[in-house]
Amino acid sequence: MLGLNLPVVIVLAAIGGVLAWRRANTLTWLLYTWVALWAFFKYGFAVPIPQSVVTIYLGITGLALVCFASSSRERLSETVQPIVRLILEPRYRLALAGLLVALPALAAYNVYADLNVPLEAPGFGREVHPPPPTEMTVHDETVDMATAENPYLHYKHDDPELYGEHLENGRRVYYENCFWCHGDGMGGDGMFAHGLNPVPSNFNDVGTLPILQSSFVHWRIAKGAPGLPGAGTPWDSMMPAWEKFLTTEEMWDVNLFIYDFNGYEPRALGQH
Amino acid sequence: MTAHARRRVRRIATFAAAILLVALPVGAQVDLGTEEQRAAGKVVYDKYCGQCHGDTGDGNGYATPRVKPKPRDFTTGTYKFRTTPNGMLPTDDDLRRVIEIGAPYTSMPGWPNLTSAEIQNVIYYIKSFSPDFENPDRYGEPIEIPRPLESTEESIARGRVVYEEQGCAACHGEVGRGDGPSAPTLVNDKGDPIKVADLTQRWTYRGGATKEDIYRTFSTGLNGTPMPSYADSLEVEDRQHLVNYVYSLGDGDDPNYGTLITAVYSEEPIDLQNGETLDALFEAAPTTRFPLVGQITEPGRNFFPSVTSIEAQAVYNRDEIAFRVRWHDLRADTSGRNSPSLEVPMWDEDNGIGDDAGDDGGDSDDFFGDFGGEEAPAEDDFFGDSGDDFFGDGGDDFFGAADAGPPGAEFSDAVALQFPASLAPEETPELKPYFLYGDSQNPVDLWFVNLTYGVADTFRGRGSESIEPTEADIVEAVTSYDQGEWTVTYKRRRSSRAGVSFAEQQYTPLAFSVWDGFNRERGNKRALSSWFYVYTEPSVQPATAFPIVRAAIIVLVLELLVVFLVRRRARQKAAGEEAASTTLAATEAPAI
Repeated sequence: MLGLNLPVVIVLAAIGGVLAWRRANTLTWLLYTWVALWAFFKYGFAVPIPQSVVTIYLGITGLALVCFASSSRERLSETVQPIVRLILEPRYRLALAGLLVALPALAAYNVYADLNVPLEAPGFGREVHPPPPTEMTVHDETVDMATAENPYLHYKHDDPELYGEHLENGRRVYYENCFWCHGDGMGGDGMFAHGLNPVPSNFNDVGTLPILQSSFVHWRIAKGAPGLPGAGTPWDSMMPAWEKFLTTEEMWDVNLFIYDFNGYEPRALGQH
Repeated sequence: MTAHARRRVRRIATFAAAILLVALPVGAQVDLGTEEQRAAGKVVYDKYCGQCHGDTGDGNGYATPRVKPKPRDFTTGTYKFRTTPNGMLPTDDDLRRVIEIGAPYTSMPGWPNLTSAEIQNVIYYIKSFSPDFENPDRYGEPIEIPRPLESTEESIARGRVVYEEQGCAACHGEVGRGDGPSAPTLVNDKGDPIKVADLTQRWTYRGGATKEDIYRTFSTGLNGTPMPSYADSLEVEDRQHLVNYVYSLGDGDDPNYGTLITAVYSEEPIDLQNGETLDALFEAAPTTRFPLVGQITEPGRNFFPSVTSIEAQAVYNRDEIAFRVRWHDLRADTSGRNSPSLEVPMWDEDNGIGDDAGDDGGDSDDFFGDFGGEEAPAEDDFFGDSGDDFFGDGGDDFFGAADAGPPGAEFSDAVALQFPASLAPEETPELKPYFLYGDSQNPVDLWFVNLTYGVADTFRGRGSESIEPTEADIVEAVTSYDQGEWTVTYKRRRSSRAGVSFAEQQYTPLAFSVWDGFNRERGNKRALSSWFYVYTEPSVQPATAFPIVRAAIIVLVLELLVVFLVRRRARQKAAGEEAASTTLAATEAPAI
């Protein structure tokens, strides 16, 4: 839910509750705030946040906490007092010695872990919906990208039976050609998807079909990866240029089918 | 709950169970759902299932010619994954399990988005395809699956003995790679060729990879396949030992697919002819497993590749770089032809089409040219007169040659590494050649090994239509096939005049292709990977101890400084206070 890792959030909140109940001192609260935020950024989200971003957040948080602690003389002394007592009072001698060893060890471990991050292949950004050309030629026919629409969409109201036939043909085309990558349920999770980079489009996603005109989808189907501009990294994508395999009618039929299957309508002409 | 109350509950439960047992013979297990439930199930089925399993449940959907294994034919009442004894119908829970999680590395996905009620309705509908579900005699009690035995050395050793005694190796191979002598001949009861499980790759087990799943398979068999039940021939404990043995063959639960090979530096010479020193060199290099999928972008598509992953390593020295790749193949095909550009006719993209070749999906067939069931050329035109009919004794009309024995090897096994012919320019580091054999502006180099000959041939690819042999660099290779595993080791000079050079600390794009001759793979009909990378690790590793110690010392010095300052200040304060103590009492520190 909300992309959060709920158990972690609950545990952090519970620790905060205990601290409030025990009337923890200012220093404890400051340490808790910083550590809890670190844990939240690191483990609190279902999708991990990049380490560089976490570092920036925690740096800012650290500065803010220092500002807070030094905002008044009382608060400063409140914050520093426990540290001073730890250092001065003989009964804390063992704890102090432990801390003197633990902190350098932690720093050393941190550096060690940094040095042993497993190498990863270099990653590059990629435009998911790069701008289409103004027109294209499919099977010797010129398609004006701004005005082209699925020629069978209007049957939905004018001739439901004929619409059904086109849908059924689209279904055949999809399950003869597309589901290996885009998936039986069209979640972009077909049986080959794990081997592909970029991953296949997820047609269940509200951010894919509904925001695209059917002409854009037709372009992607007909021209595939080789028809992408450089920003779409055409050299990595498995998407075939389906004009090599399918008739124009089949391509519009499968276009119709993937919208219908997911209960979406293409973005209308001129709608932004 | 008191002990007394617990006993009472147990007694009531026993009583209830007894009543249920008495009621069983009159068909209490036959639960076909209501008319409404089946109708609701049909709606879900027609949307999500019919395209593969057929709108009439006969396993002949649109996708059927292009998937392997073929979708289940629900009209036969034969099911592989069951908790019920051999030959019996599955329970609803068995069916539910497959619907929820699917069958890995087949075209059956899991359907986590369906609600429990939707799944139950679909189960009712699926059951309506076969009259067997109305027959109480076809129902069996689910077997009991005991807790797995601890995986001790003795247990595994006993399992190995059972493995040998029961002849498991005949199909699954000596070390479980699915390469037994019978493996190439196996068909299911519909005559479709089926693949033996590779016991070393647990993540590909169709019926699940837990010890309980494996035990279930031994105890119930896979109906309709040559995998029998051992419920009668093996004691429960021996089946459990066998589970431990089979489990011990696995390379882990997860394939752990990677994206990068790290090429490690060595001072040693790389001598391909000296197996021992070569193995020692690669011993030091990390292994990465990469996923392979079918090539389905260019004509000559491969919808059901045999090989689903490849392992790779790399080492380099001052002058040379070597790559080693390994993959599993049920048989070494070393007598046929192969090349990256071998032509694949359209009809050979499909799986023995059989009955559905003449279906009403005529449009696409016409587009591809004549290749409907009616117009199928005589079988000899397809395969030549060598009698090596792949679809052999499948007995289907399309490819069927009744007299054909096990599939022959018209095509040989092969493998290729693919590199860009040059690295991307600095201003566009993301630029790579098209991963399918390159493109006209950005060519690729292929290090191709036809395992019939076992030597590396180099090709320059400028797209699938333009693959030319090149002699610019000499690539050497050695190959071996052992117990179902191919190993191919390549070597080339690091620097190249025509192709890519391997500098230190360089990320070089790399892709793989594997051809299984047995699966009629050649040319573009291949298993392939996306672009991955090889990274040449620095020859001199930076010392790691120094920065670690430095960090610790800096922190320690800071700590000591703080302690020192605080104490000095306290001493000074104390001294000052002592001076003033005659007149003033020290104030208490505020409570925290």
